[in-house]
Amino acid sequence: MRTVVCVKQVPGTHDAKIDPDTKRIIREGIKVVINPFDTYALEAAVQIRERIGGEVICLTMGPPRAVTVLREGITVGADRGILLSDRAFGGSDTWATSYALAKAIRKIGDVDLVICGKQAIDGDTAQVGPGIAAHLSWPQATYVMDIDEIANGSLIAKRLHEDGWDLCSLRLPAVITVVKDINQPRVPTLKGRLAAEQQEIPVWKAEDIGAAPERIGLDASPTRVVQTNPPAARKNEGLRLDGTVEQNVARLVQELRRRSLV
Amino acid sequence: MKQHHLTPGYHVEILPPKQETEKLYEDLDRFANRFNRVMESGDCACITDNAMGNLAFQGTEVIEELELQVVEDQVMIHLNTFHTKKDLHRILDSCRALHIRRLLVVTGDGSDRLPRLTPAEVGAEGVAAVTSVELLRYIEHTYPGDFDLGVAFNPYEPEDYEFAKLARKLDAGATFVITQPVIERHPVVDKLITSYPELPVVVEAWMSKKLHLLSEAVGYEIPEDTPYEPIENLKALHRNYPESEVYLSILGFKTQYGLLQELRN
Repeated sequence: MRTVVCVKQVPGTHDAKIDPDTKRIIREGIKVVINPFDTYALEAAVQIRERIGGEVICLTMGPPRAVTVLREGITVGADRGILLSDRAFGGSDTWATSYALAKAIRKIGDVDLVICGKQAIDGDTAQVGPGIAAHLSWPQATYVMDIDEIANGSLIAKRLHEDGWDLCSLRLPAVITVVKDINQPRVPTLKGRLAAEQQEIPVWKAEDIGAAPERIGLDASPTRVVQTNPPAARKNEGLRLDGTVEQNVARLVQELRRRSLV
Repeated sequence: MKQHHLTPGYHVEILPPKQETEKLYEDLDRFANRFNRVMESGDCACITDNAMGNLAFQGTEVIEELELQVVEDQVMIHLNTFHTKKDLHRILDSCRALHIRRLLVVTGDGSDRLPRLTPAEVGAEGVAAVTSVELLRYIEHTYPGDFDLGVAFNPYEPEDYEFAKLARKLDAGATFVITQPVIERHPVVDKLITSYPELPVVVEAWMSKKLHLLSEAVGYEIPEDTPYEPIENLKALHRNYPESEVYLSILGFKTQYGLLQELRN
């Protein structure tokens, strides 16, 4: 079973800033982290390998420093990483990005499953996973909350929706995107990190994956961000206690215990 | 008079390298240097567990990976409730293999990326979440007699509440206490010492000049420009609590550690 996990380097949630002219996220000089949803995808892939064997490959597209998210992936169990990095990819939207990732997955070869986090926390589009499936013409399931079984060339998964879940069967190779409910990502170990630090990470350029120049980069991207506004400030969650003093005290203690504050 | 002393020297806090570090080898070297210095000085190295919710490598795995020499009774591992059960046992088993007996058991700050022990996993009933009390009881039950278990005591919390919590911790197996940072003297710490005359109480000394960073711990705003001399405070703690050992947090190894020599006994 060869699984590719697509990961993305995103700004730390407190550091995200938008360029007022280009409407794009400023990525230079800020703290970056692995997209939190991708850690669940990595854990799902590593658990599959632990269950039925195979290989986990971590794939990302970005500037050279994006290699750090691949090392994070290797730290928590991926066997190897591949970085797509080329100026020609610059400015790619989700469609052009998913095209490039799909081309890389074709180049890797013999891939049975692609797993992505449900979305990246910077763009929040949730489009790259489905885009990869579209470019590869593979079946897909989004918002996967559990993988029940992988056998006989199929994967059976629970797909989360507003009213519960669907049980889906996908013929492999396939693409899935996963939600937080699917697992609890393992905490990285020093041993894993040291192994990751020593691994060579190959860098593939556009021509290495046979990407058509007219299908990557800003000019090949059909979407344009025309306006960006910061979200409204969140109000602090309050709790109104309007019972008797005894009731209020009991309720407050219960609430503090529930939040593990006492 | 105290029943026994935990260590002849200071308890010196050491933070292991953070997970997000981009200078891993440099940070590991710094950790090893500090650890070895503390061992050579006869002090106790107290290694934090994802302090303030910042993900860091575990103290035991760093010691094992760097093959650091643990001197008996000179290492204390902080242990909080934000672990999987499997990882908890891995840490405890490593402690046992490394002959580390001393644990500081705390509830911990947690983080979105950290798992948390569930009540069912530690056999706790009637609680919504695992705190230091349930973790203490579990360790004491699962590894009977293998560890000396310490707990935190916060004199800035409402007094009755904190003493009630301490009673639960002692009942669960705690055998020593480390306070929150004390500035010169605190009446609740005095009361703690007189209430439990045989319980080893380790008083924490804040070794950073930035006293305002303690605002959250003490529960009121300390102005940023508040003058504070850590070494003078340490001397005051020795004067005011001559029977207590001292825990040094945020210690400057380059500038302060050498100065401790004149204060030792």
